[in-house]
Amino acid sequence: MGQRSNSSSPTREDDAGHGATENFKMTMLPGGYMGKILQVDLTTRRSRTEPLDRTLAEQYWGGHGFGIRLFYDLVDPAVDPLSPENKLMFGAGPLTGTGAVAASRYVVVSKSPLTNTIACSNSGGFFGPEMKFAGYDVIIFEGRADKPVYVWIENDRVEFRPADKLWGKTPEETDEAVRAATSPHAKVACIGPAGERRSLLAGVVNDRQRLAARSGVGAVMGSKNLKAVAVHGTGSVRLADAEAFWFAALDVLKKVVNDPVSFGSFRAYGTANLVNLINEMGAYPTRNFQEEVFEGAAATSGEAIAEKILVKNRACFACPIACTRVSEVKDGPYQGRGEGPEYETTWAFGALCGVSNLEAIARANFLCRDYGVDSISAGATVACAMELYEKGYAPESDIGFPLRFGDAEAMIRATIMLGERDGKFGARMADGSYRLAAHYGHPELFMGVKKLEMAAYSPRVFQGMALHYATSNRGACHVRGNTVAAELYGIPKYVPPDTLEGKEELVRRPFQNSTAFVDSSGICLFTKFAITHREIVAMMAPATGLDFTFDKSITQGDRIWNMERLFNLRAGFTAADDTLPDRMLEPVPGGPRAGSRAELQKNLETYYQLRGWDEHGVPMKQKLAELGLEDFWGVVGG
Amino acid sequence: MIIHVKLYASLRRYRPGLALGQSFVCAAPDSATVEWLFLEALGLPPEEVAIALVNGIHSERDRLLCDGDTVALWPPIAGG
Repeated sequence: MGQRSNSSSPTREDDAGHGATENFKMTMLPGGYMGKILQVDLTTRRSRTEPLDRTLAEQYWGGHGFGIRLFYDLVDPAVDPLSPENKLMFGAGPLTGTGAVAASRYVVVSKSPLTNTIACSNSGGFFGPEMKFAGYDVIIFEGRADKPVYVWIENDRVEFRPADKLWGKTPEETDEAVRAATSPHAKVACIGPAGERRSLLAGVVNDRQRLAARSGVGAVMGSKNLKAVAVHGTGSVRLADAEAFWFAALDVLKKVVNDPVSFGSFRAYGTANLVNLINEMGAYPTRNFQEEVFEGAAATSGEAIAEKILVKNRACFACPIACTRVSEVKDGPYQGRGEGPEYETTWAFGALCGVSNLEAIARANFLCRDYGVDSISAGATVACAMELYEKGYAPESDIGFPLRFGDAEAMIRATIMLGERDGKFGARMADGSYRLAAHYGHPELFMGVKKLEMAAYSPRVFQGMALHYATSNRGACHVRGNTVAAELYGIPKYVPPDTLEGKEELVRRPFQNSTAFVDSSGICLFTKFAITHREIVAMMAPATGLDFTFDKSITQGDRIWNMERLFNLRAGFTAADDTLPDRMLEPVPGGPRAGSRAELQKNLETYYQLRGWDEHGVPMKQKLAELGLEDFWGVVGG
Repeated sequence: MIIHVKLYASLRRYRPGLALGQSFVCAAPDSATVEWLFLEALGLPPEEVAIALVNGIHSERDRLLCDGDTVALWPPIAGG
């Protein structure tokens, strides 16, 4: 049995880590929030709870917001991400677990060992709501266990249990074993073998197949010898004004189920319904971003998935959209079954590797799940390895076999090597394409920013994405500021992808700031094709009883963005890191957008100005005062 | 004039048997627009057509077509 910890209220004499709430008054929160932060010390195998402060809730709202503010207060930006001094936070939003549409989300916040930036990875499923039912808005893991452990949290009881028998297991096996040893009702977040091996591409896997994938947060968990966290709660989320909340929530439900994108295309085809569209536009990065049109797009599209391998849909907590695919390859060398593949995965192991074999792509997806790695970064790393091989920079003797674009079998072999950390080459791949390319003396073949690989939208075609990839606080992620919504689908309003004018404000406010807000609420971003901030705020205010307004929601997103920026600046990043790979400045070689290139420099200066930052990308005093962050003025030199 | 048409996602059910990504040919008068094509020539319900690419470039419904253009059509879709 596990070692039971002592939960107690903090005093100022407690060891370091309680400072988060020093500056805030302690006042009861009427609803939405559970009112508790759980701090779990893996070194001492003790835990304690702190009340969630009202001011923290009012200014940072939840999820992403809580994560960045608490992390900023508690962790030195210079910390070694794989050291015991780094912390790993799970943060739910005030709406998580309320039963509002798609109110399933939680975030995993840490300092990324892949990028050395702040990391905030988002995931759905059922784990986030269960955290709330157990009574917690945030769970913070600190220190390092001396041996592999898992933590079992059932309401206010916290146990540390040995995980030596779990070490080496896939997330599915881990989930099964942990629930058998704790409760069939437990929800489990864990790492796969890649996280145990501290692969910088490892994510945190919850509910067996969902990942908080990017930025190597799984490696942080592995570095703490924390194999899994099981949570079960018998509580529920109080609502300050239930009648007003449900009125707003039912309005959202109606809009979502009547929306042809959310309830139509997503349900039918999942996210991979984009493959043919992005490809026909000539914006579908192919063979490590060498080209932007892929001849195998149709064969590896959402339509093809639906026809050939789709079994059924699956939904997250309280979500009617059910965009998750469950697919199956019944026989042959790529046999397997499970969730996915999503658009990004289909691309990363498809076009980016030049592979047209849908079954092989599905298999790669299942492998990423079993190892517990980010499929975008993993596919991108295999693609980078392919180019290194084809150009003669990485010899076959290092890899062990020919690794060419388009070779599905080799793609799978390389993915397994990456997941297993097999041999020197496998170990290099396991730490991502930046380190791989740099080792072979060709960092220009790394297709990403701040060591995080880019996603499935060409920045040579989508100028908004060019600016967003370059400035996103966690590196070249797409989802934090997915301007493709405006630059293609016309949400909120259509702007041509090649236009430069106005792109800075487009990236800054309706995308970057807005997404940070949504990621704080606990609602899934995919509702935002049907609804806006207004509908989300209309639920948050009655759920929490706090004075949340639309205008405040914009400011809140801005506040998060600036805090993350300050963290990164203190961690050593500069404006020079807001850049793109050189290849993105070369013209697209073919297709409808031949000749197009990323025009980043033209937008960057204006973007800084609009953000209220100086020419070095440092938030200025006036901006910080506007956000109530005047105390942070001067933390960055210059 | 001759227009090459591609239908994707749920619009494919209006041309069963057409291979994914394959285009079919449609005759059109010189003054044909994108809207004329999907409303009159193809008989698609207008609310089902959200995105039109003409030769790979996003086009509004009132865009005039030229001989040999490829028009690809999608219902409301998005992604992440």
